[in-house]
Amino acid sequence: MNRQLGFRAHRGAVATAALLILGVLGSLSSSVYAQSETAEDEPVSDSFTARQFGERQPQTLSFDSERVIVGAEFLNLYTGPGRGYVIDHVVEYGEPLWLLKRRTDWVKVMTRTGKTGWAKIAELDEIYTAEGEQVAIPTPGIDDFYEQSFRMGFTYGDFAGANSMGISLGYRFTGNISAELRAAQTIGAYSDSQTYQVALMHQPFPRWRLSPYFLLGTGINITSPNATIVATEDRKDTAMLAGLGVTTYLSRRFALRAEVANHYLLTSREENQEIVEWKLGFDVFM
Amino acid sequence: METRIRRIYVRLAGLLLAGAVAAPFSSAAIAQSDQELDDIISPDLERREIREAKIDSEDFEFTLYLGGILSVEDFGTDRMIGGSLAYHINEDFFMEAAYAQSTLGESSYERLSGSAPLLTEDERDLSMYNLSLAWNFLPGEIFIGSKFALNSNLYLIGGAGNTNFAGEEHFTYNVGAGVRLLAQDWLALRLDVRDHIFEHEIFGEPLNTNNLSAQLGVSIYF
Repeated sequence: MNRQLGFRAHRGAVATAALLILGVLGSLSSSVYAQSETAEDEPVSDSFTARQFGERQPQTLSFDSERVIVGAEFLNLYTGPGRGYVIDHVVEYGEPLWLLKRRTDWVKVMTRTGKTGWAKIAELDEIYTAEGEQVAIPTPGIDDFYEQSFRMGFTYGDFAGANSMGISLGYRFTGNISAELRAAQTIGAYSDSQTYQVALMHQPFPRWRLSPYFLLGTGINITSPNATIVATEDRKDTAMLAGLGVTTYLSRRFALRAEVANHYLLTSREENQEIVEWKLGFDVFM
Repeated sequence: METRIRRIYVRLAGLLLAGAVAAPFSSAAIAQSDQELDDIISPDLERREIREAKIDSEDFEFTLYLGGILSVEDFGTDRMIGGSLAYHINEDFFMEAAYAQSTLGESSYERLSGSAPLLTEDERDLSMYNLSLAWNFLPGEIFIGSKFALNSNLYLIGGAGNTNFAGEEHFTYNVGAGVRLLAQDWLALRLDVRDHIFEHEIFGEPLNTNNLSAQLGVSIYF
């Protein structure tokens, strides 16, 4: 009898406890539901698991690295800047990252625990500042090509039947006009020569996909005939240069270039010499 | 007759009045429908500002050859010094300009025949430069023991350039392969093996030569 009563009381207590727990759970779940409705218009903030770290900062941080917050569901970090390296860390939504440096299409980042890794730029399309402003990682593109100042060029070509290899350093003053320092070495069957020139370039339509240009320049040609038997003298002549060519943007920092130029050598002999040079090359702009 | 004219006037006046009174209403109606259309059509999007991150790029690599050997056909094998500058286009390709120097020994002909030397001391100095394109075709890791793994690249490389020796310029192709071990992400150890192919006429007739070089270098990214 007593035992029955006690048992009954006990059962009542269990029932009320169960009800209480259910009630608490119910209220919790409804608040969670309400939160998920409003989450869409809030800026990216710390995730639930990230909160246990609080505002932790890595110890070994350089002073100029930028802090961003991951807005994608997760972000893979590789051990090196390339597909072939290992993914050894994952950063989740809402965690802060510090951007250290970029190499090709990869960015080295540091997590709040001080771990570093490399993230693909294509996967960093959703990162935000603390104020909720979206951040993009700059990569070289066609705008840099239009806004270039200095450029380096490498060419390979045919200099009156001889192989010619050249480099150039160019500077763009305006959208249409640039100046170039050019040096080329040609290796032929009968003579080798070196040419050094300064030239002025004019691009009438810099925004065309295939943009033509005209060239005027002057310089010196040093010609040394190939003679293994007879000792010969090197000739040094002043040269005038006129040419036309076409340039087109390839990708990243590269532009392709084709050119034909007429060298007019003012020799000390009876008549002056004309040489036609064909060139194909590319420019790397900075 | 008069009455008819008057009637026309009245009608005209009425029409004008009606128009004047109705005009604001009609324009208001049109505006209202515009507003409704706007509500239906205009996108419910807020344009977001995107700012570019301030971040340094590190696409260049400077290499100094710590040790190198160059074997020139018929002239023995000698020490080579030099260096190179590479620009990394993307994770797969980089281009590299290289310069190297060496001093050649005696050719087998000179040693065996005992005749006058073919080349003067100055003509034995060899210098070369080239521009090459390389493909990182096997990126991955190389393990040292079981604790350490270094990121590595195996690359194929080829290009064109110029070799100056025996007082002549020689147009030179080069092909080869190399391996790069990254100790840090800015510091690497490189081992290159190349074949420099050019034609010379030192022995009287044109001869196409394959000249092998191997160089160990330390490189720094900046």
